[in-house]
Amino acid sequence: MTHLTLEALVALRERGTEPGDAVAREHVVLCSECREELERLHQRVARLKALPALRPARDQWPPVAARLHAERRRRRSRIAGLAGLAIAASVAMAIVISGPSRGVVTANRAIEQAMERSQALEGALSQYNPESRVLDGRTAGIAQGLEDRIARVDHELEMAELLERQSREQELLKLWRERVGLMDALVDVHVTRASDVGL
Amino acid sequence: MDSYLLADADSVVARARAGDEAALEALFRAFEVPVYNLARRICRTAEDAEDVLQETFFEVCRSIGRYREEGSLWGWVRTIAASKALMRLRRNRYRETDELQDEVTGQKREDNHLRMDLEAALERLSETARAVVWLHDVEGYTHEEIATMMGKTPSFSKSQLARAHVRLRQWLGEEVSS
Repeated sequence: MTHLTLEALVALRERGTEPGDAVAREHVVLCSECREELERLHQRVARLKALPALRPARDQWPPVAARLHAERRRRRSRIAGLAGLAIAASVAMAIVISGPSRGVVTANRAIEQAMERSQALEGALSQYNPESRVLDGRTAGIAQGLEDRIARVDHELEMAELLERQSREQELLKLWRERVGLMDALVDVHVTRASDVGL
Repeated sequence: MDSYLLADADSVVARARAGDEAALEALFRAFEVPVYNLARRICRTAEDAEDVLQETFFEVCRSIGRYREEGSLWGWVRTIAASKALMRLRRNRYRETDELQDEVTGQKREDNHLRMDLEAALERLSETARAVVWLHDVEGYTHEEIATMMGKTPSFSKSQLARAHVRLRQWLGEEVSS
């Protein structure tokens, strides 16, 4: 009797739609050696599945978090740049289409001011280079919380860009002001508190 | 598996989408071991597996907004991890052959007759064969899915799997005497 190859037996574990599978299955029913071989195959796979889970030797979250923070900083700069372009385009469009509506121009001017303030704070923070400083655990926790809230505001800023023009300016203004408040607090945490303790 | 690994997965995902770092870390903590295990079984070194773990979660954190909840969260994370691990194999391009990697492991062919344990036998397979065995037999991917991830054909995956089992059977001392 010709026995099945291991390749044929491995294929039998699949759904069995290949031509010749029916013949192979019939053979396994009749041939005890091939049946034992198939059983060994099943057992080997079961043993593979039962191998103990391997774990990393070191905590790998800190490097992932560090990359995320760097990515967020790049994203913040990009958002500020894109938002600036969007506002400029929006002002130009308002003037071209319907003349400068006082409300739109006022809102846009306020957004521009908030953005400028936000960028100035980003610049101050960047010059201070917070990544290279050591903070105590409580201060680091506060800074992290502020970073998270800024990330959420940035996410909402991206969403606000998709709104209709009438509601967009007010929403953007609200978010940019919130962002300035958070950036102010972040700079305060990093620069002021650190200088207080002589870092 | 999601609820087993991560209680309150929906809420964690919603917070992670909003950029909440505590939620992103909760995702990492829930899946770090299965992701590392998959990466370590496929990659040759622990350092490579650690890199794959980091790259996987960096991608997860960046792309969580695109996760559509059509499949399981673990299925989504696992596919990212498998792709990253296979990418790492392609990048490293050790002397990849379908045969043994004796030169890499420093082992001699003469010890073929020695009975190995399953861990050692798995480790000794070529990287491609090991990846196919792990993805198919343990993680449950189909040959079609493996072929797509590897940029090969389903037949390639099938033949790698069959040949790998021939090797494993031999090294584990399961040869049929006849």
